[in-house]
Order: sequence, then structure tokens, then C-alpha cells
Amino acid sequence: MAPREILKIENLTTYFYTWAGVVKAVDGISLDVREGETLGLVGESGSGKSVTALSILRIVPMPGRIIGGKIIYKGENLLEKTEDEMQQIRGKEIAYISQDPATSLNPVFSIADQLTEVIRRHQNVTKEEALKKAIELFRLVEIADPEIKIWNYPHQLSGGMKQRIAIARALSCQPNLLLADEPTTNLDVTIQAQILELMKNLKKLGMSMILITHDMGVVAGVADRINVMYAGRVCEVASTKTIFRNPVHPYSRALLEAVSHVTVKRVQPKIIPGAIPNLISPPSGCRFHPRCDFAAAECAAVVPQLVEIEPEHYVACIRAKEFMENVKEVKL
Amino acid sequence: MPIKTNVLQSILYKIKHMAKSSMAKYVLRRLLYLIPIFFGILIIVFVSTRMAGDPVKLMTGLNPRITAEARERLTQYYGLDQPLYYQFLKFVWEMLHGNLGNSYAIRGGTAVTTLVGDYAWETFKLQLTALFFSLLIAIPIGILSARKQYSKLDVTVTTTSLIGTCIPIFYMGIVAILIFSYSLGWFPYGAAHSLDPSRYPFGSYLLDELWHLFLPATVLTFAELAPVVLLVRSSMLEVLRQDYILAARASGLSERTVIYKHALRNALIPVVTYVGLYFGGMLAGAPITEKVFNWPGVGRLYVEAISKLDFPVITGITVFVTLMVLIANLVTDIAYAYIDPRIRIE
Repeated sequence: MAPREILKIENLTTYFYTWAGVVKAVDGISLDVREGETLGLVGESGSGKSVTALSILRIVPMPGRIIGGKIIYKGENLLEKTEDEMQQIRGKEIAYISQDPATSLNPVFSIADQLTEVIRRHQNVTKEEALKKAIELFRLVEIADPEIKIWNYPHQLSGGMKQRIAIARALSCQPNLLLADEPTTNLDVTIQAQILELMKNLKKLGMSMILITHDMGVVAGVADRINVMYAGRVCEVASTKTIFRNPVHPYSRALLEAVSHVTVKRVQPKIIPGAIPNLISPPSGCRFHPRCDFAAAECAAVVPQLVEIEPEHYVACIRAKEFMENVKEVKL
Repeated sequence: MPIKTNVLQSILYKIKHMAKSSMAKYVLRRLLYLIPIFFGILIIVFVSTRMAGDPVKLMTGLNPRITAEARERLTQYYGLDQPLYYQFLKFVWEMLHGNLGNSYAIRGGTAVTTLVGDYAWETFKLQLTALFFSLLIAIPIGILSARKQYSKLDVTVTTTSLIGTCIPIFYMGIVAILIFSYSLGWFPYGAAHSLDPSRYPFGSYLLDELWHLFLPATVLTFAELAPVVLLVRSSMLEVLRQDYILAARASGLSERTVIYKHALRNALIPVVTYVGLYFGGMLAGAPITEKVFNWPGVGRLYVEAISKLDFPVITGITVFVTLMVLIANLVTDIAYAYIDPRIRIE
């Protein structure tokens, strides 16, 4: 029996209508998040990870527009909801943590104001009760002296502290699904470790999570399954273990090889040649083929579909079967 | 997780430590700064006007029968024979007693305090009305324009504002007078009151005042409107791109809260700067506007006093304008600190 899905995205398409042309930021992606699981959404900058998260909440900034697909949350399609219904879902059912803690809190309001505001929006409580809840949340995200710190303004706090507060705000209404958009990217390494530890602890609350990152090290520690994205499409989906031990899609492998390891010997991480394509006129066929070491002639012609090559392991590559069979030989 | 939270204690902490320390101290510090600035400006203006020429010569220049002795007596009468530092100290002493001296030229030596009082009121009336309405109209239009960037409404607003910014006020004023006063005869040509009470509309002094105010206030409103609209729009666009706006939306806050609480508060910071600077200059009276509408304001009085080397009036208006500009700056600073905690709490 398959575990229950809390969120299922089918063929989501979000385009940005800019002066230069239509940017196909998310071009028909499908993914699912199961109850209580953490799904890692991995890819280079510009691969459509963040836009996917914003599409789920339907807060894609102008000139972006969701033009197709389905986002099914608890059996209901979010794309068919009204704006008012969406406002009830945002923050309460599905919460969001944005990438930059330095800018995700409004500089002109106190932390207490910004936290109680969200609590009072979704829960029918008085100001004092909301404040009490906010202070409890501060304890949850391990901030010392919450009664005092809560009256601070964002500029009085450090980056790590701000990210803890952003997490506290996201958790304030016990959401069922948390979208964490690169929660550690803009932090110092030591603070990153603390925040990741915190995120791991949060998993124990039974919440599902989509963890968006370009850092393979981050997903390795936290995610249960990984969804590798490239240029607005999904390349490979599998459990974290499978992705790290037995990646099949050439892009997933390239990503793993680009990770630098701390070793005594100096090992230069491999660089993926080229850059992420221009999404106004993306390459035909498989979008990765111009940068792929294993591209065949037909890669430029056929758009590969996600195929289950072994149980719970999906790959969108026409040569996936070959790679599976000769895993040892092709491995670099 | 067992949690012991003392909300009351937390609120008490806030009242005790946060509120008191910041704002009052900030305002006090600003107030203390004003004193040396005020006297500095006063010295510069006092000295520079007295170097501009000799008012006695100007007064008597066209009188062929004036004797040197009479000139001497006039100079003594006005105290201009005293050394400059003595004149200045005497002026400061008198000023601290509420006396700014008497005009050399206007109505046989009217007290400067009376003059400034009368003219300043007219300037305030005109300028504050215009500022009030221009902000009232400009802020919502600017916000709307930013929210619907590149829409037809936005393009119309931006284009109109750009044209509005380019048309000088004296031109707009003259055209308005030509159309609404000369051709249509709806409004008076200028001045702030009808001289003849029988011409008051419905016999009401207040209506007469409003009738005279309407045209210059409207023209000024439009002149001030355009730059504020553009400023609010660009500032709002900048703020709407920020992460915290996205985060506020992602928390399920209503669009109204997002725009009018989270975005507007940040977008107003540059607008406050602009209005503060403008406010100061505006109280000095806009001599050109006042000339076009023959408005009895401080700006016109100032220009006339300078052309006659009417020292007491020049210095008197300078005292007044300096005070007003300093107060405007103080109000701006306080507004700043109120809006942006980064300024009040170091």
C-alpha cells in the first residue's frame, strides 16, 4: 500500500511573461509529497524550485502566471480555490520559509507584531494569547530570553536568529506542509548546522516538508526522498539513499560530483560545463542534452518522460535503461 | 513540552525598557541640535544683509534736498551707526522679548511681528491646503499605479505625472487664471480676500476666503501632486519586490494588510523625506506662486522687503522661516523615527 499523499502536483506549468519573451520557469512538473515526509527539491539556481513553491501557494510574483496543471492538496485542487480560500490555506495549512532571513522580516515592525499578526489571522485568540503563543514558539525554535527578544526589531538580531524567527512564524499555526526555500543558504556554516538540526527536530512534529536547496549536503541530512529538477523539469525522483548511491540521470550524477568533500587529499569538485539554459528558448528534447556527457542524437528530439525504472525510482532520460544496466561502466 | 510563559512580565519589560528609552531621548537630542543651528543661520543672514547696501541712501536717494545731517540722523534713528556686533546683540535681545523691530518701508513702521503674522497665515492657508490634498490624492494613486504596473491606468498616471512635473507653476497658474477667471469668470483673479465686503458670496467672509483660495490651491495641488505620485509609485514598486512582502503574502495575510500595513509603511520612508524637505521650503512661501495669484504671503513680502533693503523685515522673515524650516525638519525626523525603528533604536 502506497503512503498517503498530502500534496500531489500534476503537470504544473508556470511561465513569466517578460518583455524579452516568455520564460518557461516551470514547465510541466509533477511531484508528490507524502504525509510526514520531507521531500528535497534539488537543482541549480534557476531550475524552477522556488517558482514551484510559490506556485503551490499561488503567490508567484508578477509577471509570472500559473498556466496549467493541478496542485492537489488533501484531495482539493488549489488552483480552483478563490483568493480568499487561498489566504486561509497560506500560513495555516501550508507555510513558507523564504531564502533570505535578512529580508524575510519586515524591518519596520517588531517581531512580536509580525508573529502575533499571523497567529491572530488564523486563530481566534486575543492579543495576549497570541503573544503567549509567540513566546512559546520562540522556545520551540530555541531562542533564549524570548520575553525580551520578542520586542526586538529585525535589525537588532543576527541572521541565524532571524531565520529561527522566520521558522517560528511559519510554524505558528501548525501547518501540515512546510515549504522551506533554501532555509540555510544565506547563513554561516555553523549557523547552517544549527538550523538544519532544528529542521530535523521539526520533522518529529509530524509535518510534511518540501526542502528546496541546491546544496546536496543539506538534503542528504534531512530529506527522505529527493526530486532533482533541471530547467523547469523533473529529472529524477527517488529516496535519498538511492539518489546518493545509485543516481541514474546524468544530471543527478553531475550534481553529486560537483559536491566538494572535506578530505585530506585535495580533490577538485567536478564542474558541470556550461550554464543553465535560457528558459525563454530552452533546448529542444531533453533540456540537459547540451551539457550532457552521454547525450545521444535523439536526446535533442525526444522529450523524456518520467519512467519508473525500479520501484520508487523515477528517471526522465531516454538512456536510463542503458545506464541502469551498465551502472559500473558508466560511473565516472 | 512544559512551557512556563509569563506574558505579563514580557509586556512589562516592553513598557519599561523599549518605549521610554527610544523616542523621548531622540526628540530631546534633535531639539538641542536646533539651537546652535538657529543662531548660526541668524548670524549669517544678519551680517550678509547689512553688507548688501545702505537703506538710508536708498530711502533718500531720490530726494535732492536731503542734507547730510538729515541722513546722519536717520542712520542714528535706525541704529545703523552702531558696530555690527552691537546691532546683532541688540536684535537678539529684542527678539527674545518678542520684538522684531519695525519696518522701514511699510505703512509708517508697522511692527515686523504683526506683518509676519498676517502674511504667514495666508501662506500657511494656501500651502497646507495644497499639501494636504496633494498627499491625499497622490498616495492612493501612486499605490494603485504600482500595484498595476504597466497597465493602462499605470501608463496614464505616469505620463500625466511626468507632464505635470514638467509644467512650471507660473505657467499653469497663468493658464488657470486665463481660463477660469478671465474667460469663465468663476474665480477671482488673485488676492486672498475681496476688499469690499459687499462682494462676499452670500455675504459670508468664509465663503469669500474659500472662493479666493480655490484656484491657487488647486494649481498648487496639481503641481505638488505629480512628483509625489511618481515617488510613491517607484518607492512602492521597490518595496513590493522585497522578500518580506512575499513572506507576508505566504502567511495568508489579506491583500489589504500586505499593501497598507507592510508595504506602505516602508514605501513612505522616502516620501517623508521628500515632503519634509518640501515643507520647509514651502513655508518660506513660494514667491512665484504668490506673485502669479497676487497672494499676500510671506514669499512676496520677502521679495519686496529685499528690494527696499528693509532690514527689520528681512531679518524678521528670516527668523520666522528658519524657525519653520527647523520645526519642519524636526517633524520629519520624528515622523521618520516613528515609521522606521532602525532610526530610533541604535
